[in-house]
Amino acid sequence: MKRIVFLLCGSFLLSIPQFTNGQLLKKLKEKANSAVNKAVDSKTGGDAPNTSSDESQSSSGTSSNRPVNKGGAGLKNTAPPDVNAAIDDASKSFSGKNYSDARYSVQQALMGIEIQLGHQLLKSLPDNVDGLQKDTTQDKVVSTQWGWNNMTIQRVYSDGKDKQCTITIGNNGLYAGLANAYFGNAYAVESNGKDQNVKQVKVQGNKAIISYDESKGYSLIVPVGQSSMVVWECINFANEDEVMNTANAFNIDNIKKSLGEK
Amino acid sequence: MKKYSLLILILFFAIHVQAQDFSKDIADAKTSYSSGKLADAHFSLEQAVQEIDMIVGKEVLKLLPEKMNDQNANSKDDQVSANVGFVGATIHRDYGNSGSQIEIISNSPLIASLNAFLNMPFVGGMTRNSTTKVVKVQGYKSRLEKQGDNENGKPNYQLQIPFKNALVTLTANGMDENSVLSFANTMPLDKIAALIQ
Repeated sequence: MKRIVFLLCGSFLLSIPQFTNGQLLKKLKEKANSAVNKAVDSKTGGDAPNTSSDESQSSSGTSSNRPVNKGGAGLKNTAPPDVNAAIDDASKSFSGKNYSDARYSVQQALMGIEIQLGHQLLKSLPDNVDGLQKDTTQDKVVSTQWGWNNMTIQRVYSDGKDKQCTITIGNNGLYAGLANAYFGNAYAVESNGKDQNVKQVKVQGNKAIISYDESKGYSLIVPVGQSSMVVWECINFANEDEVMNTANAFNIDNIKKSLGEK
Repeated sequence: MKKYSLLILILFFAIHVQAQDFSKDIADAKTSYSSGKLADAHFSLEQAVQEIDMIVGKEVLKLLPEKMNDQNANSKDDQVSANVGFVGATIHRDYGNSGSQIEIISNSPLIASLNAFLNMPFVGGMTRNSTTKVVKVQGYKSRLEKQGDNENGKPNYQLQIPFKNALVTLTANGMDENSVLSFANTMPLDKIAALIQ
C-alpha cells in the first residue's frame, strides 16, 4: 500500500512538470520562431513568410506527402451538461444496478454545477479595478470532474498596455492545503537580508501570502475556507500597496459563500 | 457456512443502507439545485459519488476468492474506502497471516499516470530482469515481481494488473510463481473490470 501511495505521489508530482514543461517548450518555440522570422525579414526585406509557406506547400506535395491544414470552423462551444437530466440518469442507472453509468452521470451533473457556479462568480466580479478594465475574452471556467482539482475560474484585467492583473479562483484541496500549511510554519519567511521576497499579509481579514519576482511581478494568494483559494498575479504594478488595493476591490466573503466555504 | 451467511447478510444490509444514502444525496442535490444553492448541490453529488464507490467496492469484495491457494480470506478485515480526492477508491482483502492481499485502486486520475509508468521499461515497468517479468493474466498484460523470501524460505510475489484508470495489486507471500499465476487466473477480472471502470 505504501508503495502504491508513493508511486501515486510520484506520478502526480511528475505530471505537473510535464504540463509546465509543455507550456515552456511551446513558449520557447514561439520565441525562437519570431526571432528567426525577424532576422530573415531584415535580410530579405520581408519576403520570408511567403518563402516559408511556399516551402511548406512544396514539401506537402513532395517529401512527406502529408497535406497541411489551411483552415476550418474549429469546435463549437457545447452547452454544459444538463444537471437535472444527469441526476435523473444517475438515479435510473443506480436503480438498475448499473453503477458505472450512475457514477458517470453524477460526474456530469457535478461538471454542470461547477460551470454554472463559475459563470455566476465571474458575473459577481468587478468590471474594473485600480484603473484596469476586465477583458471578458480571457474569462475561463474549467471543471475537471476530479475532486483533487475541481474547478478553476479566471478573469484578466488590463489597461490595454503592459499592466495586467489575473485573478484565479480555484477549488483545489491539495494546493489550498499546502498554502494553509505555510501559515502553520511561522518561520517560513524568505528574505535575502535586504528585501523580503515573500511575506504574510491579511486581505479583508483573511491570511494571505504575497510574493514578488522580478520577471513575474507580484503574486498574492489567499486560501479561502478548507479547499479553495484566490490568487492575484499582478504584472507591472508599482508596489505592494497597489496589489493590496486591487485585491481589496474583490469581495472575498462573497467568493467564499459562492464556493460553499466557511 | 454460517459464517459466510452472516457475512452476506451484513453486506446486504450495508448495501441497502448505502442505497438509501445515495437516494437521499440525490434528492438533496436536486432540492439544492432547484433552489439555486449550487455549492450545497455540489456537496451532495460528491457524497453520492462516494456512496457509489462504496457500493461498487462491496460488490467487488463479493467477487474476490475466499481462498488464495491454502490461505483463507480474512473477510472481517475487508476494507473499502472512497474519497473524491486524487487517491480514488480502494478495495482491500487480505489472506492468511503472511501479508498476502489483494488491493484495488479505482477511479483515480493518477492511476492512468501510474499505469503509464508500469508500461515504461526504463523506470522498471513492464520489463524483465532477475526479479521482474511481464506476464499475461487472462489476457491482461501484468507485472510480476519477486520480493524476496519469507521466514520459511518461500518466495514472496507481487503481481500488478493495470486497467484503464484502475490498478489491481496482488501480494502473494510464501508461494511459488506457478501458484501465484494460477490463483490470479481464478480471479474474475472481467467482472471486476466491468464494475470498477
